[in-house]
Amino acid sequence: MDEYFTIFIGIYLPYITLVVFIVAVIYNFFKWIFLPRPIMWAIFPAKKSLANILFTIATRIFSLPGPRKFDKLIFTLAWMFHVGLIVSLTLHAKYIFIPHLPYEYEVGTIAGMLAAIGSVGFIIRRYVDKRADSYFADYFALILLIITLSLGQYIRMFRVVESTHLWTWVQGILTLNPIPPPVNTLFLIHIVFAQIYMIYLPFKTLIHPIAIFYGQKIILDQRHFKG
Amino acid sequence: MKIEQIYKVFDEYRGLSDSKLRPTEPKSEQFLKAFRELLDKKNNWPFLLPLRLALEACTHCGTCAEACPVYIGSGRNKLYSPVYRADMLRKIYKRYFTLTGKVFGSLVGAKEVTEQDINAMAEAAYRCTICRRCVLACPFGLDNGLVMREMRKIFAELGIIPEELKEEGVDNQLRYGSAPKISYEALMNILDFVRGEIEENRKNVSIEIPVDKVGAKYLIINNAGDYLSFLDTIRGIVEVMNYVNVDWTFNSPRTGVFDNVNYGLFYSDKDMLRVIRAHLETINKLKPEYVVIGECGHAYDVLGHLMKDLIPAEERPFKVIHIVELYDKFLREGKLKLDKHKNAEPVTFHDSCKIGRCGGIYDEPRRVIVASCRDFREMYPNREYNYCCGGGGGFALMSKYNFLDFRMKTYGRLKMQQVKDTAASTLITICANCKRQFLDMVSYYNLNINVSGLSEVLANALVY
Repeated sequence: MDEYFTIFIGIYLPYITLVVFIVAVIYNFFKWIFLPRPIMWAIFPAKKSLANILFTIATRIFSLPGPRKFDKLIFTLAWMFHVGLIVSLTLHAKYIFIPHLPYEYEVGTIAGMLAAIGSVGFIIRRYVDKRADSYFADYFALILLIITLSLGQYIRMFRVVESTHLWTWVQGILTLNPIPPPVNTLFLIHIVFAQIYMIYLPFKTLIHPIAIFYGQKIILDQRHFKG
Repeated sequence: MKIEQIYKVFDEYRGLSDSKLRPTEPKSEQFLKAFRELLDKKNNWPFLLPLRLALEACTHCGTCAEACPVYIGSGRNKLYSPVYRADMLRKIYKRYFTLTGKVFGSLVGAKEVTEQDINAMAEAAYRCTICRRCVLACPFGLDNGLVMREMRKIFAELGIIPEELKEEGVDNQLRYGSAPKISYEALMNILDFVRGEIEENRKNVSIEIPVDKVGAKYLIINNAGDYLSFLDTIRGIVEVMNYVNVDWTFNSPRTGVFDNVNYGLFYSDKDMLRVIRAHLETINKLKPEYVVIGECGHAYDVLGHLMKDLIPAEERPFKVIHIVELYDKFLREGKLKLDKHKNAEPVTFHDSCKIGRCGGIYDEPRRVIVASCRDFREMYPNREYNYCCGGGGGFALMSKYNFLDFRMKTYGRLKMQQVKDTAASTLITICANCKRQFLDMVSYYNLNINVSGLSEVLANALVY
C-alpha cells in the first residue's frame, strides 16, 4: 500500500477522528442541556429524588426493562451487541496503558463474535421487521461495524499484527509523537473502517446512548419545579 | 354517513370532518410555519426536550409497537405502530430542520412534505390516544405518544381540530361553564333529583348537597358529562360525602366553570391554559382547601400535575386531589363502615391511563374496591402496563363517520377481551371518558357487563 496513504490513515486520520468524535460527542451531550427543562411528564411509578432517578437510569441501561418485557429478540440481540462491543473497545483501549492482558485472546474473540452476531441479527431484523421503516443510514452504521468487527476478529484470531507494535503506535498518537502503524493491508483497512465508524457515530448511532439519560430522566422524574 | 362517501386520507377511517380537514386545500406552508414555531424554545418550552429527543434519537427498533394497544388490537397493522406514525413527522423534521436531512435527504429518512402527507398526518394524529404505554417499551424513554400530541398542536394552528373537542368542548365550557351547556337551573334540578333518590332509597337519611359554598374544605368539581350520563356516580359522591359529614361543596355555572374537563390537553397548550385559567378563576372565588377532581382522568392530569409547572404556586393556593384519594383517606381514617357483601358480584377495575400511568394512582382505588366488594378480580396486564380502553385523547367524544368502528375494532377489541377474561360482571373505572368508551363497547359488542364508577359502588356498600 502507498506509503503516504499509510501515514495518512495511521498518523493524521486518528487525530481528525479524535477531534471530530470528541467535539461531536460533547455537542450531542450538551445540546440537550440548553433546551428548557420540560414540564413534569413522568410515567408512574416514578422517583422523587435525583439520586433515585440516576440510580434507576443506571439499572435500566443494563437491564433494558422495555425490550425485556415487550420484545425478547431485540433484548437478546442488544445485550450480545453492546456487551460484545464494550468488551472489544475496552480491549482496544488497554493499548493506552499496556500491550497485553491475561486471557485477552479468548475474551476478545468471544466479545467480537457476540458483537458480530448482534449486528447481523439487527440487520436481519431491520430487513424482516415491518413495524418500522429503516433507512440507508440505519443499515450503513451496522454494515460499517460488521466489516470492522470481522476484520478485527480475523486480525486477532490469526495474530496478524504484533501487539507490542500496536501499543507503541497508540502510545505515539496519544503522546503526540506518532509513529507509522503496523503495515498490513487488512489491519489498515480495519483502522480505516473503524475511524469512519467513529466519525459517523456521533451523527447517528451515538445519539441514543446520550439520549437515554435525558429520555429516561423525563419519565422517571416526578418532581414539579414550581412547588 | 356511508363509508364510501368518506374522503380517505390515512386509513379506512375518518375522525376529522371535511370542513375541518379541508383535504383539497394546500396547507404545506402553514404546516411548516406551525412546525417551526413548535420547535421554538419560547413557544413550546414545556414539551420541547421530550419532543426533540423523540424526533432525533429514535433508532426505529420498533419495540414500542408491541406495547401499543391500537397496533395490537388492529391485528398488528403497521399504520398504527407508534414508530410509523411518529416517523411521518420525523421525516419532515429531518428534511427541514436538520443538517443531515438537508444534505443526505432520503438516505437518512428525510422527506419533502406533500399535501397528501399533511392530510394523512392530521388523521394519524387522531389514531393514538396518547396513553403513553409505548414509552414503557422504549429503551431510551422516548415518547412517540407525545409526538402525536405535538402533531395535533401543529394542526390546531391550522384550525384542524375535531369539533367535539374545540367547539363542543373547550368553547362551550368557557362560554357556558360546562361542555354540555348545563344551565344553573338544570343542574339544580338534577341535584334535587339525586337528593330525592338517595333519601327514598336510604330511609331516615337526610341529604344535603351544598353548592357554591365559599371556603369549604373540599370543592368537588365533576366531569359535567356525569350529570347527564353517569348520574349514579354523582349519587355515589353525594351519599359518601354526606355519610362522612365533612365540609364540602359542588359548584355551579354561577361561579364560572363547573366542569373539570380540559380538552385543550388533547390538541393545544394554548387552549389547555385558557381552561386552566378559567378553572383557577372559579376555584379562587370559592377558596377551598382542596380541589377534588371527580371521576375524570385527564382533568386530574391537567389540574393535579401539569398545572403545577405552568402556574406559579401563589396563584393556586389549594391542593388538588382525585376523589379516589379522598375516599381512600376516609377509609384509612375509619370514617367509612362498609359491608362488602352488598357488592357480592365479581368486579374488575380498569386503570385509566391519566390516573395511573400518567397520574401515579394505583393503590388507592384497589384499597377502596377491596373494602367494598366481595370478589375483586384484577385484569391483566394492569397498573402501568394496563391497556388504554380507547376513550383517551378525546376519542370517547368522537364518533362521527365511522370513527366509532375504529375505536371498537382496535382499542375496544383488545380491551373487551381483557375484561372478558376476568369473568367479572361489573367493570369499575374512575374516569368519565373510560366509562363512555366502555358503554360504547358494551353496546357495540352486545356484552352483558355493568359499567360503573367507584363512587356508586362505594356508596352501595355503606352501612348506616
